[in-house]
Amino acid sequence: MADGEISRTRQPYSGPVFTARIDRRDYKYRDEMINRLMYTYKSGIAQIDQISGGFDAGTNILILAPPMSLGDQLAYALTRPLTGEYAIILSTNERAAEVVDAFKLAGADKRFTGVIDAITKSSTPTIVDTPRLMFVSSPTDLTGIGIKFSNMIETIFEGDFSDGEAGLFPPPIRFCVNSISTLLMYRRLEVLYQFLHVLTAKLKKIEGVGVYLLNSESFDEKTLSLIKQLMTCVIEIKVEQNVNFLRIRGITGVSGDWIKFQVTKGQVVILP
Amino acid sequence: MISTGVNGLDEMLGRGIPQGSRVLYSLEPGANGQLFMISTLSCALARGHSCMVIFPNTTVDAYRNDAARMYGAHLDLTSGPVTFLDAIDRERIGKSAGSAEARAREWKARIQKLCHDHKVTVIFVYFDLLYEEFGLETAMEILESAQEGAGGMKVTIILEHLNLEGAPLLERFIRDLSFDFVLAIRSSFRPFPNFNYFTLVHTSWGPVPVRSLPFIIAEGRVIPYIPRIVVTGPANSGKSTFVMNAADEGHSIDRQESDGGSTTVALDFGWLRWKDFDITLYGTPGHTRFDPLMPPYLRHAMGAIVVIDATKPEMLPRARHIISMIEKRRIAYAIAANKNDMPGVMSAGEIREGLGIGEDIPVFPISATKKADVHSVLESLVASITQFSN
Repeated sequence: MADGEISRTRQPYSGPVFTARIDRRDYKYRDEMINRLMYTYKSGIAQIDQISGGFDAGTNILILAPPMSLGDQLAYALTRPLTGEYAIILSTNERAAEVVDAFKLAGADKRFTGVIDAITKSSTPTIVDTPRLMFVSSPTDLTGIGIKFSNMIETIFEGDFSDGEAGLFPPPIRFCVNSISTLLMYRRLEVLYQFLHVLTAKLKKIEGVGVYLLNSESFDEKTLSLIKQLMTCVIEIKVEQNVNFLRIRGITGVSGDWIKFQVTKGQVVILP
Repeated sequence: MISTGVNGLDEMLGRGIPQGSRVLYSLEPGANGQLFMISTLSCALARGHSCMVIFPNTTVDAYRNDAARMYGAHLDLTSGPVTFLDAIDRERIGKSAGSAEARAREWKARIQKLCHDHKVTVIFVYFDLLYEEFGLETAMEILESAQEGAGGMKVTIILEHLNLEGAPLLERFIRDLSFDFVLAIRSSFRPFPNFNYFTLVHTSWGPVPVRSLPFIIAEGRVIPYIPRIVVTGPANSGKSTFVMNAADEGHSIDRQESDGGSTTVALDFGWLRWKDFDITLYGTPGHTRFDPLMPPYLRHAMGAIVVIDATKPEMLPRARHIISMIEKRRIAYAIAANKNDMPGVMSAGEIREGLGIGEDIPVFPISATKKADVHSVLESLVASITQFSN
């Protein structure tokens, strides 16, 4: 192999195996990239990262959060792409520009952040897709959401996503739905369950990680229980006297105790 | 007949969709198949059919923009005889009618009125939300009510549906609702991300076998894609000449022989856009020492062409051995009997006998230097691929 050329595969990987060509001068994280065979996504939450190194590839995480909590900020913090990673946000309640701004403020590189916007098109029907910003007509349009999701993944794999900048390959992809609650307002639970079933399975296939936000107070136990079935782990949030607590369920070795936290500039800060 | 706008698919169907049919374009989540509906709509409008489009999840403006962007400049939804029921209509129906029965009545009334006023002959329906709201039977009853508005004329109904239930739902469309044509559009992450293909699941008007074909979207069109046709045969039979004359673009990796000629040592590669199919040709070396390469060449092939030198009966056993490798893979193949313009060629019967093949395998006497001859072999093989039931 020529100098400055890096070949790396992640195992187990069911799809095709690719070789990435990266200029050593431009890539500072070569050793880290070579050493990691099975990709692990850092969560930024010490309780998780110290025990398991982060989220395993293929993990789907449900964030159950009441209104006026830090649920959405936590979801974005877990989705923020680290160096070499990519993020895709399916936005059902914010315009793409707002999502991009939120990620920028959290320190994310916008060249590695894509948004599927289900809001803007209803008011601006002529809006045009770009590789990183794609638009569907409304949150009811599951056909469009599925297609844009596939298209964005394809764009990332083909290297046309980040203005020529190279991330890791195969690409580690963080995906966020901001929120399932909005989708549930428009589509029946059974339909959404089937749709999310396909989506979570695709995330596993590409060894991505999925973060799904759901309002814990607006839906009955049956709804919550059905959605939980699709997930690998659940992070519950509660608010007491204006303090946010989180509790992690479903990660071996990680305590299920309530922990005080806040989110500052896209970083999860655990409070004493 | 209503064209799907996809020439390759029309050919598989026998020139298109018969008037009055019930058609389902079933999309798997993520499959990039919305262009099938749009291109069929465009063809129906171009043929002067009065069309109604029902899309309950978006507005007319957004739909027009999406359709134009997907299909390019060919589709002008402002000029054709087309009428719409959109998300705003759905909202109004929801507000004006409380119960599901009342909403169904309101949908029927609107559809019948539009069919009557605009003499609609084809209805295009984005079916998901109607299916979710009313269930399969009632939703279809609503759409079938178009017949009454059309004054007894048989209206063609074409649905696009996001199928989250898989094969059992397709069965219901075919068995319970007597749909005439069901096309499943699917996607996979293999062999590459967003690999799309369609499957002809059912046609009521002809014995078209269940057959899947990959497709690509390019220049606003659905282009069926044959990712690999292997061109093989004994050494010096004319495979490289065949590939180069068949292809729009071709390359051969040869080695100079001691007699001044050249022989293929790795592969011939050719690409062509032909009869609306996007086809890639892989030519194999013919010498026996390259036989270990044959299984990987054939692994994902959809068809094979065995080129033989029709003046050399002594090479037939070698060709027979190659055919046995192809038959193990159960892929469609044809024989191109090359050098037919030379003296001393074998007859088709002698070739069949020598190769031990039946009448079902086509044998084409050709000269690989003539494009017309080469294309006749390809035409036959593509027909076999699209109709070959494996």
